[in-house]
Amino acid sequence: MTFFKWSRTFAISRKEFFHIFRDPFTLGMAFVLPLLVVVIFGYAMEFNQNNVEVSFLDLDRSQSSRSLLEKMSSSNYFRLKQVRSPEEGMKSVKSDNSKAFIYVPPNFDKNIRSDVSEKIQVLIDGTDSAAAGVIQRYLIQITNNMSIEVHSNSRVSSTPFVSRYLFNPELNSKWFSIPGIMVVIMAILCTLLTSLTIAREWEKGSMELLLSTPVKPLEIILGKLFPYATLNIISVVTVYILARLWFDLPFRGSHIVFLFACFIFLAGYLALGLAISVILRQQLTAMQAAMIIGLLPTNLLSGFIFPVENMPQGFQWLASIFPVRWFMIVTRDQFLKGSSLVQLSFPIIAMGVASVILVSIAVVKFKGDLD
Amino acid sequence: MSSDANKAVLVSHLLVQFGEFKAVNDISFSVDKGEIFGFLGANGAGKTTSIRVICGLLKPTAGEVSVGGEVFKGNGDNLKKKVGYMSQKFTLYDDLTVAENLEFTASLRKLDQDYFEERKKYLLDFIQFEYSEKSFVRDLSGGIKQQVALVASLLHDPEVIFLDEPTAGVTPVSRALFWSLIQKLADHGKTVFVTSHYMDEVEHCHRIALMRGGEIIALDTPKGLKSSQFPYGIYQLTAKAEDITDIEKALQRSSEVESFQPHGIHYHLAPKKDNSWEKISPLILPRFTAKKIRPSLEDVFIKLVEGKNR
Repeated sequence: MTFFKWSRTFAISRKEFFHIFRDPFTLGMAFVLPLLVVVIFGYAMEFNQNNVEVSFLDLDRSQSSRSLLEKMSSSNYFRLKQVRSPEEGMKSVKSDNSKAFIYVPPNFDKNIRSDVSEKIQVLIDGTDSAAAGVIQRYLIQITNNMSIEVHSNSRVSSTPFVSRYLFNPELNSKWFSIPGIMVVIMAILCTLLTSLTIAREWEKGSMELLLSTPVKPLEIILGKLFPYATLNIISVVTVYILARLWFDLPFRGSHIVFLFACFIFLAGYLALGLAISVILRQQLTAMQAAMIIGLLPTNLLSGFIFPVENMPQGFQWLASIFPVRWFMIVTRDQFLKGSSLVQLSFPIIAMGVASVILVSIAVVKFKGDLD
Repeated sequence: MSSDANKAVLVSHLLVQFGEFKAVNDISFSVDKGEIFGFLGANGAGKTTSIRVICGLLKPTAGEVSVGGEVFKGNGDNLKKKVGYMSQKFTLYDDLTVAENLEFTASLRKLDQDYFEERKKYLLDFIQFEYSEKSFVRDLSGGIKQQVALVASLLHDPEVIFLDEPTAGVTPVSRALFWSLIQKLADHGKTVFVTSHYMDEVEHCHRIALMRGGEIIALDTPKGLKSSQFPYGIYQLTAKAEDITDIEKALQRSSEVESFQPHGIHYHLAPKKDNSWEKISPLILPRFTAKKIRPSLEDVFIKLVEGKNR
């Protein structure tokens, strides 16, 4: 009887490294894909609105209305365009040139000074609800400031809310999306690349040859995990550098805590890919399965785009099964908040449990196949 | 017969069952040291399953298997040291060099570095390898690949080598070369276990086992198989006219005819008894030209494995 031997595990790893570094497809996936995805998502996934065209019709032409419009145009958010009639304003929104139309009624100035509540009508293009929400938020911010100023000149003192955003004071959406992209890239790369490796050996018939030697299933699985883990760590570092230097992201957590969480997550998702490979045994089907299993929950149930807390209870439970949901929390936290390991213990333990289960499935299923 | 100590492979009452299905049903045979042993049978006959057991890959349901004096036990690891395995399905990793492939196999078998270098040099000389060890396997021809794969399976100096259709898909010249290597191995005292679909190749085997339905239905030397299956020879018949349907039926039904089978553009007829040919030749000669030939292994194979009149 022979037992588990590191030397055989390293022999498998070494061979796998040769495969990886001689295959342009794998290398491209590992290095070019993350860069491409980060840059594309970094620029395309823009929730912030800048330089939005807004039409206005000012029938008051007073000091107050002018100061309101001036505040808007100086905010960088809006580019104002004067129209001559309400019809023209509506047309500009319809034709998609302007995202909103602001109508300042006559006597606006007079009314607010005499403390009669006065309304400015704002029509926002609601086709893109996310953009509409952002525009509204900016407008409210500007008008709030305005009313504070107006009232501080008058007798009435008011106590409006003074709010400040923590962790991401400018609500920069890149700060939110790039750590998320990092998680998505890791999840996809892990499952996709490893899903091919065991299936490749079955398909080419080399598995039989491996098995005619005393190599053990665990040695094959571990031997195949190491190179892909290394590959993924390299792409994590690449994305990290890009995020910090190119997109100016802060990193407020501990690199050690983050790396530790990365390893737990990697182990789980690499094992997921291997399990797919072990079960399906064919490269093409394994790759398709990995795309679906790796991509869908990662994009939809991880909180990457849609907050898990807003989902119906059933979906929240479903999301909790996937380690990616927990890793998303840890990654965003480490970049923006910087909580300690103790504060993050729940997501890290949840992720760890899921990863252990996935590794076990891969090894047990593989062993069962061979006996 | 030689004593058990000279047996490279001993199989007795081997049974392999998958659920209800008996893939291998109580087979027994032995192979001598230095013997080239052919293993034939149609797909699904139990050939591959038997080989997997003898290589230590599959646990037998019942029966005993020993290779080079080692009895199958545990997970079969003790047999894996004694056997080398090479399959037509996979030879070597294309994107690795010759040296890397050999190193990989050596490290899976945990060979000592010095021993490995020595074996590698010896075996590459043995196959008269004349390329660089640093050449990528994908740049080698099919025949050379096959030979290097043979080297890989011989690195740990196994007593028995299993060649599962080793020459499928290589040129006839490469096949001949490969068989001369197999011959040389046997001369060095290695036992070679071969499966193949090329009947002309199988003629090189010292003995042949034929499997059908999980059982060994014949086991003999090629010569012995031919003479036991066709004791009165075979006549190659060539039809003089196109339509021979009537006589074809008559011959197939005749009690003097063992078998009458189409064979390419000819027909092969095996007489049943010593004097059968004299009795039926007046019926045949007006319609066919006839020539007595020596039966080939293909005739044996067709009769035993694929033949319907058995």
